[in-house]
Order: sequence, then C-alpha cells, then structure tokens
Amino acid sequence: MSSDEVHATSVVPMANQIAAFFVSQGNHDAAVAGTADHIKAFWAPVMRRDLLALIDAGQADGLSDIARDAILQLR
Amino acid sequence: MSVRVYVPGDMAAVAVGADQVATALTAAARAAGIDIDVVRNGSRGLFTLETLVEVETPQGRIGYGPVDAADVPGLVAAGLFAGGAHAQRLGPVEALPFFARQTRLTFARAGLTDPLSLTDYRAHGGLKGLETALALTPAEVVARVKASGLRGRGGAGFPTGIKWETVLAAPGPHKYIVCNADEGDSGTFADRLLMEADPFVLVEGMAIAAHAVGADYGYVYIRSEYPFAIARMQAAIDLARGDGWLGRGFDLEVRVGAGAYVCGEETALLESLEGRRGQVRAKPPLPAHKGLFGRPTVINNVLSLAAVPFILAEGANAYQDFGFGRSRGTMPIQLAGDVVNGGVFETPFGLTLGELVDDIAGGCVGGRPVRAVQVGGPLGAYFPRGLFDTPFDYEAFTARGGLIGHGGVVVFNDTVDLAQQARFAMEFCAAESCGKCTPCRIGSTRGVEVIDRIVAGEARAANIAVLEDLCETMKLGSLCALGGFTPYPVMSALDHFPEDFGGADARRAAE
Amino acid sequence: MSLIQETDYGTPAARSDRMVRLTIDGVQVTVPEGTSVMRAAKELGTTIPKLCATDSVAAYGSCRLCLVEIEGRAGTPASCTTPVSEGMSVSTQTPKLAKLRKGVMELYISDHPLDCLTCAANGDCELQDMAGAVGLREVRFGYDGANHLVATKDESNPYFTYDPSKCIVCSRCVRACEEVQGTFALTIAGRGFGSRVSPGQSEAFMTSECVSCGACVQACPTATLTETRVIEIGQPEHSAVTTCAYCGVGCTFKAEMRGEDLVRMVPWKDGKANRGHSCVKGRFAWGYATHRERVTEPMIRASVSDPWRVVSWDEAITHAASEFKRIQARYGRDSVGGITSSRCTNEETYLVQKLVRTGFGNHNVDTCARVCHSPTGYGLKTTFGTSAGTQDFDSVEQTDVMVVIGANPTDAHPVFASRMKKRLRAGARLIVIDPRRIDLVRSAHIEADHHLALRPGTNVAVLTALAHVIVTEGLADEAYVRERCDLQAYAHWAEFVSLPQNSPEATEAVTGVPAADLRAAARLYATGGNGAIFYGLGVTEHSQGSTTVMAIANLAMVTGNVGRPGVGVNPLRGQNNVQGACDMGSFPHEFSGYRHVSDDGARDLFEQAWGVSLGSEPGLRIPNMLDEAVAGHFKGIYIQGEDILQSDPNTRHVAAGLAAMECVVVQDLFLNETANYAHVFLPGSTFLEKDGTFTNAERRIQRVRRVMRPRNGYADWEVTQRLSNALGYPMAYSHPSEIMDEIARLTPSFAGVSFQRLDELGSIQWPCNAAAPDGTPVMHIDHFVRGQGQFIITEYVPTEEKVGPRYPLLLTTGRILSQYNVGAQTRRTENSRWHEEDVLEIHPHDAEERGVRDGEWVRLKSRSGETALRAQITDRVAPGVVYTTFHHPLTQANVITTDYSDWATNCPEYKVTAVQVARGNGPADWQVEYSAQARRSRRIEAAE
Repeated sequence: MSSDEVHATSVVPMANQIAAFFVSQGNHDAAVAGTADHIKAFWAPVMRRDLLALIDAGQADGLSDIARDAILQLR
Repeated sequence: MSVRVYVPGDMAAVAVGADQVATALTAAARAAGIDIDVVRNGSRGLFTLETLVEVETPQGRIGYGPVDAADVPGLVAAGLFAGGAHAQRLGPVEALPFFARQTRLTFARAGLTDPLSLTDYRAHGGLKGLETALALTPAEVVARVKASGLRGRGGAGFPTGIKWETVLAAPGPHKYIVCNADEGDSGTFADRLLMEADPFVLVEGMAIAAHAVGADYGYVYIRSEYPFAIARMQAAIDLARGDGWLGRGFDLEVRVGAGAYVCGEETALLESLEGRRGQVRAKPPLPAHKGLFGRPTVINNVLSLAAVPFILAEGANAYQDFGFGRSRGTMPIQLAGDVVNGGVFETPFGLTLGELVDDIAGGCVGGRPVRAVQVGGPLGAYFPRGLFDTPFDYEAFTARGGLIGHGGVVVFNDTVDLAQQARFAMEFCAAESCGKCTPCRIGSTRGVEVIDRIVAGEARAANIAVLEDLCETMKLGSLCALGGFTPYPVMSALDHFPEDFGGADARRAAE
Repeated sequence: MSLIQETDYGTPAARSDRMVRLTIDGVQVTVPEGTSVMRAAKELGTTIPKLCATDSVAAYGSCRLCLVEIEGRAGTPASCTTPVSEGMSVSTQTPKLAKLRKGVMELYISDHPLDCLTCAANGDCELQDMAGAVGLREVRFGYDGANHLVATKDESNPYFTYDPSKCIVCSRCVRACEEVQGTFALTIAGRGFGSRVSPGQSEAFMTSECVSCGACVQACPTATLTETRVIEIGQPEHSAVTTCAYCGVGCTFKAEMRGEDLVRMVPWKDGKANRGHSCVKGRFAWGYATHRERVTEPMIRASVSDPWRVVSWDEAITHAASEFKRIQARYGRDSVGGITSSRCTNEETYLVQKLVRTGFGNHNVDTCARVCHSPTGYGLKTTFGTSAGTQDFDSVEQTDVMVVIGANPTDAHPVFASRMKKRLRAGARLIVIDPRRIDLVRSAHIEADHHLALRPGTNVAVLTALAHVIVTEGLADEAYVRERCDLQAYAHWAEFVSLPQNSPEATEAVTGVPAADLRAAARLYATGGNGAIFYGLGVTEHSQGSTTVMAIANLAMVTGNVGRPGVGVNPLRGQNNVQGACDMGSFPHEFSGYRHVSDDGARDLFEQAWGVSLGSEPGLRIPNMLDEAVAGHFKGIYIQGEDILQSDPNTRHVAAGLAAMECVVVQDLFLNETANYAHVFLPGSTFLEKDGTFTNAERRIQRVRRVMRPRNGYADWEVTQRLSNALGYPMAYSHPSEIMDEIARLTPSFAGVSFQRLDELGSIQWPCNAAAPDGTPVMHIDHFVRGQGQFIITEYVPTEEKVGPRYPLLLTTGRILSQYNVGAQTRRTENSRWHEEDVLEIHPHDAEERGVRDGEWVRLKSRSGETALRAQITDRVAPGVVYTTFHHPLTQANVITTDYSDWATNCPEYKVTAVQVARGNGPADWQVEYSAQARRSRRIEAAE
C-alpha cells in the first residue's frame, strides 16, 4: 500500500465528514469557515499538507466542495 | 307454588353430607310430585345439627336435624315439606336455646338468606350501612365507628375507629383496605362461616371502610384451606360489582394464602400479598402509615369489617349499648373441642367462661369433666375450672394471663395431658415460625427439647428454670405474637397443671 | 499502620432538617427526625448490642439483641426499628434487658459451632463480640439439640465461601443483595428453625443469579460468608484507603493487608462514588497484580521476530531513549509520539504528555479516550463549555426520569447501576434507548417505561425526533432557555427540529422506533420532573458520536434539565481514569484543563513552566499516527498502559502501523497484544504499588495509595521520569504529590487540588479553585460555563457503513460484567469463570435462516476482516442485529470493526459494522496463525 492510498482512504472522507456536519449549521460561507476552523483545531499540520498534496495532484476525488474550499482557505 | 327448602351449602354442612341431603330431597320431592325450591344457605352455626334442613311453612321456618341422606325418605313421608312431625323436627330454629340466647348483629343474616342473593341481602337489611355511610363524610363515618367502641376482632382488640382515623389522616394517592381472612387459630371458624353464609356483609363493610379512609382498592386474603369461602367471596364481589356498589372508585379482589399460620399476622400478610415470603415486618412503620406496597392501609379482621354495616345502619349506640367494660358490642364466640354444642355463638361481651363452657357449649361429650379450656387459639392460655368466673372480655382475660383472641374456645376433658399440650404449643410455634426473629426461630425448637427433658425427668427443677427463662425471652423478645404468646399456653399449663410436668414417676405416684 | 475500622451506626442516616432531642441513659442527644434510637445512641458513643442491624441496609428488627426500654412505653422495643421522638427517654442497659439479651445470645450459640479458635472470622466476628458484650457464660440448652452444624459448605464461588453452619439468619446478606446491589439473588429458604440463606431456589452461588458483587460477604456478621482468601491466609492486620482501578465509577476501597500481601478489598462506606458498594471486579478481581504472567523485568529486542532479552532498567531506558533520538534525527521531530493510559494515575498521565511535548518536542500525544469518550469532550465543550459530565453520582437520588442511551450500566458500571436501580425501585421512571434489551430494561423490581430499540447508527435521528416532539408539542422549558441559552441559536435549532422530516413518524422507517413510543418517551422526559440522561459508548462510538452528544445536550437544555441536582448529562466513563487522562492534556490539541495549544496564554504558561518552546498546532491522534506510520512518516511510539492492537478498530490496520515503526515501547503489566509488535518492554506497576490520583466519571479526584512495593521496581511515573531524563529533558519529582502540585499551578480547574486537600476532604470534584475551594459536585448551576448554553443543529447523517446483500447484519459491541475491556486484568483472575470467551448474540430468526445453533461456532465477516466465535441465540438483540464483547484476544472482535469514525474526533465507529454470519467449524485460520505469532513473539531468551 502506498502512502497516498492510505491518505486517500482517510483524509478525504474525514474532511468530507466534517464538512457534512457544518453544512447543516448554516450557509455555504459559514460551513466553509466551520470546517476550516475544525480542521485547524484538530488536524496535525501534516494531515492538512497531505490533503492539499492530494488536491494538487488531482487525486482528491470525492472531496466535497465545502471541504475543498475549507482546506484551500487554510493553505 | 313451590315449597322453599333450606339446605346449608357451607363447608361444615357439606362435610357431613348436606349435598347428598339436598339431592335426596330434590329426588323425593319429584317422586312425591311436590315442587320444591332448594336454597343452599349457610349454616346457622350449630354444627351438631348439621345437616339442618329448614322448610318454609305458613307457620314459619321449621327445622329438621341433624339429617342424613338416608333419613330423607322417612322425613318426606312424615310430611317434611309441610312442616310435619318427626323425631328430627326441631321446630323454629330461632327458638332453640342455643339461638335464642344469642344476640346476632354481625351474623344477623347468616343461615337465614341465600348467601349470593342480593335480593335476600337487601330484604334483610343489607346495604343500609353503606347507603348511610355514603351520605356522610369520611370523617363522620370514622367518628361513628369510633363511637361504637368496635375493637379489632383478630385478637389484638385495637380500636377499629382509631386505626381508620390514622389511615384517613395519612396522605396518599393510593390507600388500601385489606381484610384478614387467614383464619388459622385452632377452634375458630367464624370468619369462614360468615364468608360462606353472608359474604355481602363483608364486601359492604370493606366498601364502607374504603369510603371512610379514601381507599381505592381492597384485598380479601383468604387461607387456601377455605375453598368454599374463596369461591363465595369471589362470586359476591362480582355480583356487587355488577350491582354497582363496587368498582366505582373502590374495587376488591380475593387473594389466596399458601398455608402459613404466620400470614395471619398482619404485616406478614401484607408481605405475602406483595408476593414476598410471608415474614413479619417490624413496626413502626404501622401499616396505617406504610402498609401494602408502602401505602396507608387499613388491615382488619373479617369480623371487624363485617360488624361495621350494622354500626352504620343502626347507629353507633345500637352497637355500643351491648358489651362489658371496654369490650363493646358482640363477639361471635366459637365453641369447639370436646363439647356437646359446637358452633358459633354471637353474644355481647361479659358472659363468664363457665357459662360459655358449661351452659352454652353443654360441657364435654358424654359428661366427662372439663379439665382445661384454651381460649384464643393456639397461643391462648389454658384455663382451669378455677378461672371459669372470668368474664369474656379483653381486659379480664389479659388480667388472668389469657387472651380472647379471635374468640375460639377449645374445651378439653379430663384425659388431656397439659405437659403434652405445652410441648405442642412449642412445636406449633416451631412449625409455624417464619424464622425471622431469634427467640421464636430457635427458642421454639429449644422449648420442645426442654419440655421433653422435663417430662423425661432430666434435671427437672433446673430445666423448669430454663423453660421459664426461655418463655420470658420469647415473650419479651419476639417480633410478633407467634413467638410472643407461645409462652402463654406453656406457662399456663405449667402454672395451673404442674402435676402433668412431674414426669412418668410422679404421674404413676399420683394415680 | 493499623487496620482501619469503620463505625457501624446500625441503621442508615436519616435525611431530615427537623431535629429531635431525646435522652439516652440520661445523656441528651439531638439527631435528625427519623433517626433510629440505635443510631442516636451510637452518635453519643453508646453501643447497643446488635446483630441484624448494619447501617448499609434498612432496619429489620430480627435479632432482638438491641431491645431497649423507653419511659412510658410498654415492652422492650427494638432500638433499630424505633425512631426517635421528642423528649423520649431511653435506657439501653437494665437488668431486664441484660437478662433478655443473654437469653437471646444463649439461643444463638445453642446452634453455632464452637470453633472460634479455628474460625476464619476469629477476631472479626460480631457474634463473638456480642457473646462477650452480653456476658454469655453458658448455654443451658446443651449442644445435642437440633442444629445445623453439619450443613454443607458452598464453595462454588471462587472468591467467597458460604458456610451455612455458621449462619445466624440475620438476613443482612439477603437485604444487602436487595437493597444495596438490587439483584435479589438471595432469599431465606425454609421456615422457622430450618431457615437458611439460599441463592435462588436452593442453587449454588455460582449457578444462581448472584453477580458476586460481595455485598453479602460485606454484610455478613459471622464467618458464614467469608472471602476465600481470608479462609486461606487469615485476617488482615493493616489497611489503606484507595481507589479501584477498573471502571469510571471510581469506587473507594479499603485495601486490607498482611505485610505486603493483599488479603481483601473492602468497599469504603465514605467513598462518595460507591457509598460502600462494590462489584465483582473491584471487590475480587485483583489477583492479576501477582499473576505469574506479570513481567517485572525490562526487555528489549532488535526485531519483533526476535525473542525478548531481559536487560537492566538502565539498559532498557537508555536503549529506548537512543532509539527515539535516532528516529527523530533521521525522520524528523514529528516522527515519534506517545499514548497515555486511562488506567494510570493523573500524575503518570500528565508526565507522559509532558514527556511528549518536552522530551519529544511535539504534540503527538493521544490517549485511549480517543476510542471511547472523545466525542463527549468535544460535544459538551461546544454546548455547555466543559468537557465533562454535569453531575455527581449522588444526584441520581433526586432523579425522577432516567434516560439511558447506549450504556449498559449493570455490566459496565455495576456499582452506579445499583444506585440507579435503587432509585428506580423507589419510583423513578426509566427510558432506555438501546438496540439491545439490556438488563436494566427488565430486571428484579425494575421495568423500563419505554425501551426504544433503535437500529444501530440512528441515535441522532432518534434524539432529534425526541426534540421534535418536545418543541412541537410545547413541552420546552422556555423560561429556562430564555434565561440560560443563546436565543438565536435556540430559535434556529427549534426551527430545525420542528421540520416534518424530523418527526418520529418520518424517522420511524430509518430508526425502527415506533413513533408512538418515541412520542410517549419524549413527553415523559420533558414533563416527568427531574430528568437525567446517562450515556455510554453506544453514543460516542459512531460516525456521528459528537453530534449525538450535542443532541443529548440540546435535549437537556430545552427541558431545563441542567444545573441542579437530579438532572444533567451524565457520561458513564469507561476506564478508571479516562476523565483524568483527558483532563491532564492527553489530547494532541490541548494542554491540561482543555486549553488549546493555539491558545497563546496557555502556551506561554507551559513554556515558562517547562522551559521549552511549544508548537501552536495540534499533533497526531492515534488513528492519524497509525496512518502516518503506514505511510512511512511515523516511526516510534511510547505506549503506556494501552493495548491498541486489541482495543483499536481494524486490527489489521493497527498491526500494519505498528509493524511499520522502528521503535515501539510498551509499558504494561503483561506482554499484551501490542507488545507483539514492540521493541522495548518496560514493566508497569499496578494501582496497588503507587501513589497518585484517579478522576472518575463525576470529575471526582480520588487518592490512590501505595500498599506494596512495585514488583517491577518502579512506579510508572518513575519510569516515565527516567525515560524523560534519558531523552534529555530533566524531571526530578520525588513523589507524585509534587506532580499534582505542578498540575494545580498550571491548570485553573485544578488550582485548589493537592494531596493534602484530598486527604482532608476524601475527594474533590473539579473545578476546584478559589471560587469553589471544596470542588464542584454539580456544574452549570447559575449559568453555563461557556456563558450561554449553545443549541447545535443535529442533522442525521447515516454512516457510510451500510448493510447490503453481502453483509446484511449490523454488529454492535459491548462489555460484560465479569470482564473489563481487553481483559488484560480480568482474564488473569477467576472472573473468567463467568465469561471464558466472547460469544456472538444473534436473534433466533437470523440464526434459523443461517442454520446457526446455540453454542456452535460461527464465522463473523465484515469488509475489514473475519473471525470465528460461538453463537448464543437470544432475543435480547433485534432481528438484523448481532452483538459481541471484545474481552478476549482470541476473538479479536476488532478484526471486524472498520476505519469509520466520528467526524469531529475520530472516535472509531465500533458500534456499527455490517457483517455476515455463517456456520463455522472452529477458529478461523488467521486466529490460529495469530495465536502462533503471539506465542512466538512472547518468547523470552533464556538467561545465560
């Protein structure tokens, strides 16, 4: 198993799950902000880097829009 | 028009063949072309007359007895259905001395009516008490019961009105009326007879109690040895519910005991009703405060509750005018043992024990001398003839180391061995002990052993001292009356009949 | 040190504000109304002889020794059952009473063996004491009468023996079983002289309904029920008060010792969590401390395929430190981390996280709370402002309606369950929300008003539907909400829950809960008086765990059920110190007292105190560490007292992560499953061998006291300190109290805590500071800690783990009474006699379809893996749901569980796994292989 595969099975769904919660809390901007805040508060920097790397490599298939906007906001 | 014939259907009458008598009468009547209507009433209460057949005639109810099924053809031939003469013809039953001397307030209808006929019940004054009560406030009902002087007929003699007052004052969304019909004392049967002969009066009494204290549910706890009473009470409750005087704010059910004497003790009875092991509770809390399922509960004996309709119907004074000293009203006394006239005898308090035994009960069968009388069940003291002047009254009996209990009087003739009776008292206690408190649980077994040693002549004086100490421990130390009163028969036997404890040698010497 | 003797007041304390004055033997005493004469006398120091009375159970009045005389009253009333009354004048010693008591004792002894000198209770026997107290000199009945001297002993229970020949039929055991434990396993069989204590219908203790809590043994005044250990080795001679190391209830025990031998653990009456009660684990299952498998010498090895080599402590510590340094030099500072243990003390946990943040220089620290209650921390902090339960356990005594969600207290928190059951028997109402019919739904004298048997994974839908009913039916406590909560958030939330799609009728198809039941339950909770919610891992261990916790908080707020005794949100914490481990800063994103690492003020404080610079970004959580390990970035870990291989989800992934590391240091009592992948093994110490504190589920900090020297030579905190020193970060604590002093200095909610204060007060519930110098039993009294209570929208998001044709059943997991978590401790005690292996509970319908028979092997397969275990057919589980426990490494239920986890905290979704069940014929291949591998890995090189 390559490292990328591992992260494809964890950071993307994790980000999506967080986004799914914040989507229910308010409008798009609030959801992005909430998701970003949560990731910043609870994810180690390496995890954020992993997710950004996947996005950059075009391998973040299935990443929700909110999650994508949130992580890009944290870049 | 058909002839109305009464053949008792209670357990005592049936035991001596009343069912067969009824069948024989029906068959004989059909054969003779006479239309009869057999009513299965309850016994009038003098069991030596059973089966007592009564025929309604223009001259009144004419009794015949004791009748056996084999006697029926002869009786019918003699014109029984018209009140014809016969050796077994007794005439009007009320006129017989045993009945004429009674004052029947509680047992007024017993034997007269069809036990499950509401029409009969109403026709003989039934429901007047409840109707009166419902027109009064609960506090007024309680005041009347208090004024009547009625005391608990189960044995303790606690004023019923005060008990009710306590329950009335207790707060609660739920309160219960519990009727103690676990009649287990030796020589007692009044509860049974009442439930079989006039079950509605008990239902009415409980309904009045419920109104008086604000109870919403009641239980009649009947010993399993009384299948007739169980069936009849159940039927009466159903009829009363159908008639509308039960089931509207107060309802009742019958619960059946499982053969433990101690469940006649009120707190053990409550435990049993709750589905637990029948074991005595320590008081306080009183059942009036925390009784069945922890709720305020009136728990009364059958005879106490059955006395209430009369009090409400006729007034407290009508009841309280009878009696002796602080024992007001009447007591259904049960005469048993080696007596000529065995049965229920309801009378105001105050007759002496001698009058009851010698006059009413007619002494021992065959004219043998009466040696001892045990009043109040297995925990009552043995009285010798020397105490026959004791009036039948709670305080008078207590003053002489006895108790009237539930009103059972058991007569023994001169063949009785009081040491063996003392041993039996301990044995009975050992057999019936619930096992909760130490003096009763271990003491009763040790009591049997010590009496055996005394009787066997082992260190007699020392062992009598041990027995006396043991009785003191049981009397003062037991949790309930079973252990606490077992010393009474034991010590009364020892005190009044010391010669029976002398051992085999002493008895031989005496003879 | 001497043996601590507790005063027995004979009857329970009365709770009344009204005082009554009376005279006992001429001395005046004033006591609360409802106090017994016996207790009033004891308050004066006057001991009335007694045998059937003891203050843990209601007065009974059977022994008849405590009789007294009362002026103006007839007879000799029992002082235990007679309440005091104003002006009463009592005599406790008169010639009449003396004779009476002697008479009663004479009866007792006439049916009792005269073997005092060789009796196990010699010196600790109330019967013996009373014979002396009443001056019994002879038994005139002799000894040849009826007796029970030849009655047969029942030695079926491994922990205690029942000897009926010594029974005095006081019923203390029967009453303790009923009143204290609430199991009703014991009764008196027979009548009169034949009366004897009997488990069930004359069964043996072991096969009866007895749960072996020990309450009966505790209550017995003679040698009738005696700890087998006391029979074997004799009476203890000294004792210390300490705290149980099992579940989060935190029972206080008296450890009774002979020298350094533990004789027995006796529940402590003044223990504020347990109030003198215990369970089969804390009371009896401590034999693991001296189990032959315990490893007491450090060991190292180069590769996990090598056998272990026993080394000195110096060598082990030096080796571990040099490995971590080597790894960090090569892979970077963030390539190592640590895991703190919820079983160790606060001080030890604090030290491990401190070592990670200072010695390792990163925030890669996590704790086992990650896999249990991390959503509680997140959810309650978000809504209320504090990451902990709101109440103390005593609060349950004022609860009118209990809601139990995803918790099985009678198995997992038995001592608190007994307190719940006591309150339920007194009339409180009960709502159980659980897929499984837990014992609390229906047990002796208890029946739930509503059991909402939801489908696993639908908690949020059910809780939101409850809120829907409360809001739309006008049952909300609007005054409370107005005064206490953020109104804008409330309005937003109320609008959300009122949506038709959140109604019970709309969600019924998803949750499986009949709408009418759910509505009735909502009404009961909202209108039944004091409503308290108790929950466990059935709430947290879901992909929506944190959402569920917040949904619970919403319900409590909308009904006004937070901020006073009797109500609240009560997480039942799993391990003895899981609350403490969280409090101590074990999470990678926060310092002790729940202060985020990005909080500059907090960071400054720690930087100054610790003399290091600290990062402002969170570190890795356990699952992230394992992911990074598999990815090749995370290479070394220091694990104190946690067996992640067995306890964490998706075992094969955990194994892969561990296998990818270069230095795994395991500190534990035993070679646990994780140690199969370890390079360094540091022997751990038990709770009996060290000083410190544990913090239980009610935030109660309690002392752990050392009663014996560590078999391994060092308390765990000393080992961490040595490792830190070897890593180059100096630590020099000489006693755990110094660590607590540091915690108190650096943690506002612990500011007032010290060992000295704990000794004075017995225990302290945090927050403890200048505002609350004695601690805080109930939180959020006037206002929420965060200011205004925050309602959070809880939209139901179904888990990704879905049933389908291949995996049509839902597996959920839990615990059983006799075993504890991964079983490392309890499996090494006689407790295994109750539960030798994990079994799969399956509904008769599902079993029938698959041809599965009771007691036979079945294969259990999920998308993650496969295992085999025996089936138990029961309708406790609904059709479509199967259930097992995770106590046994052979089963390894976590081979089956998946990687799915809570969205906010990554707490694994243990409670929902889609599985298939099929008939099997024995252990799966991998179970056989795993056992062989484990055996190989545990080899220890023979000493030369």
